[in-house]
Amino acid sequence: MAGVSTKAIKNRIRSMESTKQITKAMEMVAASKLRRAQAQVLSSRPYFEILYSTIHDIVDANRDFSSPYLSERKGKKVAYVVIAGDRGLAGGYNSNILKLVMADAKDKEATVLPVGKKAVDFFNSKKIPMLTANYAHAESVSVGDCFTMANNLCKRYLAGEFDEIYVAYTNFVSVLSQTPLILKLLPLSRSEEAAKSTVNSDMLYEPNPEEVFEAVVPEYLGGIVYGALCESRAAEQAARRTAMDSATQNAEEMIADLSLKFNRARQAAITQEITEIVVGS
Amino acid sequence: MNGFPLKIVTPDGLQFDGIAEEIVVRTTTGDLGILAGHINCIAPLGMGQATVVIDGQKKYAACIGGMISSVNGSVTLLPTTFEWADKIDVERADASQMRAKAVIADKNSTSTEIRMAEARLKRALIRKNVANLK
Repeated sequence: MAGVSTKAIKNRIRSMESTKQITKAMEMVAASKLRRAQAQVLSSRPYFEILYSTIHDIVDANRDFSSPYLSERKGKKVAYVVIAGDRGLAGGYNSNILKLVMADAKDKEATVLPVGKKAVDFFNSKKIPMLTANYAHAESVSVGDCFTMANNLCKRYLAGEFDEIYVAYTNFVSVLSQTPLILKLLPLSRSEEAAKSTVNSDMLYEPNPEEVFEAVVPEYLGGIVYGALCESRAAEQAARRTAMDSATQNAEEMIADLSLKFNRARQAAITQEITEIVVGS
Repeated sequence: MNGFPLKIVTPDGLQFDGIAEEIVVRTTTGDLGILAGHINCIAPLGMGQATVVIDGQKKYAACIGGMISSVNGSVTLLPTTFEWADKIDVERADASQMRAKAVIADKNSTSTEIRMAEARLKRALIRKNVANLK
């Protein structure tokens, strides 16, 4: 009887050890990918910050004209660009962002543009209309893809298919902390202080304000989506690294626990054998 | 010559941050030159060559897409791609030119394919031209 239980424990230890090896390997892969993604985020961040602030400066300073990109519409048709990962085993990375989108889209007519396999699968199962499922592989989406996406969205926005456009992504705060966020892309709204002031701007638009906006807004969208993608990629690797690190630790704890049980069972078996021999002689 | 603070940032990183004396870029409606003390302005960029004068030295670059803005004396260039003449990969531009030409010559190409190939060809030609200027 004792023999059977030691054997079972031994099997469990062995399987736990192979699990630990896998999680350890995944952690190391994520760590090396994270280093690359982190470098990319740091090098591209100035672009998005400047792009964002420049566009908002222009919007705040604008008194000269109105553009469909600037006017708020009352409709409820909303488009979300949702950036998630291709694979699971990354802690709460995928579920956090998807939950946030579902909560935000509750009483709106939402259409999504999912990036990453997990997002595509999720919205498929929820039967939420998708613009395209072409970006099911988040790791291979390029800058060019982001600009194509942005042009497409702008065209549909101008055609009145959507009243608002958002991007949902995970902000890479640090290696240990990532926060899911929803950022409004369109319409561009004026900040509150700017709305109060009535000073005329002396901005020169070359050739004219409408054309500048028509050309610049898709660029802006594309740039911001690409930035969000970079942030999300780094956040995914960071989340996976943390999740796999704690999985490895848990496996180690369990192995230690099981080894102790195994040794106790082995000792008990030996003691029993000795007792049997002593009694028998 | 008076200088002005210039920032050139692309999605790939900061390309330049410092004082420049002059910048000429190709906008959608033609070349636009900016010197110190320019009026606040903003213009979308086309595809073309950018010339930046830093410390009296002319530097050339291939600059494609994006926008340029001058606000309160400081100029920000936000192109989609920006490559200094000495960093241009001429072999890649050559390969891209060949591919684009093949698509345009192919009678079976659709109009979108041809349009994209033409844009690619133009980019490749700009890169090669700029690379020859260094």
